[in-house]
Amino acid sequence: MRADARSLLDRLGRSDFAYKEFADRFSDLELWPLFEALLKDPRLFTQEIAAAADMAAGANEAVSSPAIAGARTAEPAPPPPPPAPLRAPQPSGAETLAELFNRYEAEASGTTPQRHAQDVRAMLRRLSELDARGEL
Amino acid sequence: MPLILCHSPKGGASTTFTASHLAIGLSGMDGSDGIGGDITLLTLSQSDMTPLHFGLPPAQRLPAFGAAIEAAVLVSGISLRCEPFAAQDPDFLARLDDGGFLAADSARTLVIDVPAGEPALASRLMPHAAVHICPLTASPDCLALLPQLLEQDEATEGSGTAYVIGKLDETRRLARHVAAFMREVLGDKIIAKIRQDQSVPEALAMLQPLSRYAPASAALADVRQMADVVRGMLEMPASADPGQTDSDGAAPTRPAPGASRAA
Repeated sequence: MRADARSLLDRLGRSDFAYKEFADRFSDLELWPLFEALLKDPRLFTQEIAAAADMAAGANEAVSSPAIAGARTAEPAPPPPPPAPLRAPQPSGAETLAELFNRYEAEASGTTPQRHAQDVRAMLRRLSELDARGEL
Repeated sequence: MPLILCHSPKGGASTTFTASHLAIGLSGMDGSDGIGGDITLLTLSQSDMTPLHFGLPPAQRLPAFGAAIEAAVLVSGISLRCEPFAAQDPDFLARLDDGGFLAADSARTLVIDVPAGEPALASRLMPHAAVHICPLTASPDCLALLPQLLEQDEATEGSGTAYVIGKLDETRRLARHVAAFMREVLGDKIIAKIRQDQSVPEALAMLQPLSRYAPASAALADVRQMADVVRGMLEMPASADPGQTDSDGAAPTRPAPGASRAA
């Protein structure tokens, strides 16, 4: 450790620094296409997180986070029945957040199992809550 | 006798660093509860960097697992051993057993560092491990492995697998987001995050243990906290007799990661 860093830590009475950033609201960010691809992988949601999500979210519960709700109201949902095909990851910004969440909703009312849809919503809600608490 | 397996499916995830400092952390225990005391760190890598993490020169050769006690390399009370061809040795597990490392009443703690390129060997050892520590990095390549890891975890009923996010640089947006995603998916199975810390490679370059080179190192504080969490996992009632095997002699009972996780 550099002497000036050690001196500063000594003056602060700390042993190390913890980085904290206050920007990056989740609603302002694009969802990384890798995240989107993983969210579609059913293997991710066969663990206890699925049970937790089931308990936390009712079968027809609407997503309540401001980020996701805002994204929804920004653009009306497309007609739900045809299930969205699995798409290859797209470059950032190719799809708006509202379109992304609406597509998840369409999947929820289509042939995709309800449990999976709840898991996705629960995941996104929790990410948004983390962002609201500044922990993301 | 806790056997602790350190293995990541992804190279470069700080597995050797994690295993080394886990052994150091556990060596501070007095061994009265069967944890700590007589610690052996066994590396199964053919290109091993373990000596560097203990402040030893890279030319330091570690004795083979079965070498005589006179050949032992002891650092801070930890016996460092290597067995680079364990994957090709069908009797490796039997030799561990013969050495008393799998005996339920042994006072020894064995930390095994299995390189990323030996998943089959890790699978052989996993049923005998009290805890499997799986270091990951907050990077897209490790994130993409998550479905596969969870599938394997479920197939092996791997309630003893605990994940550690290593080299975490929270100044980077993608790293923060990947770590948050991992926390959402893995939950309490993530027992620690170890911050990216330049003092780690600097200590290696200085041929000094990290605790001597940078006692205020953020990564050192994190890895010590991880060792405390692992100790808590080993102390759980379910692992009171971790060497006990079931009727077909297969797997000992393993504690759930995060069950004793520090708040």
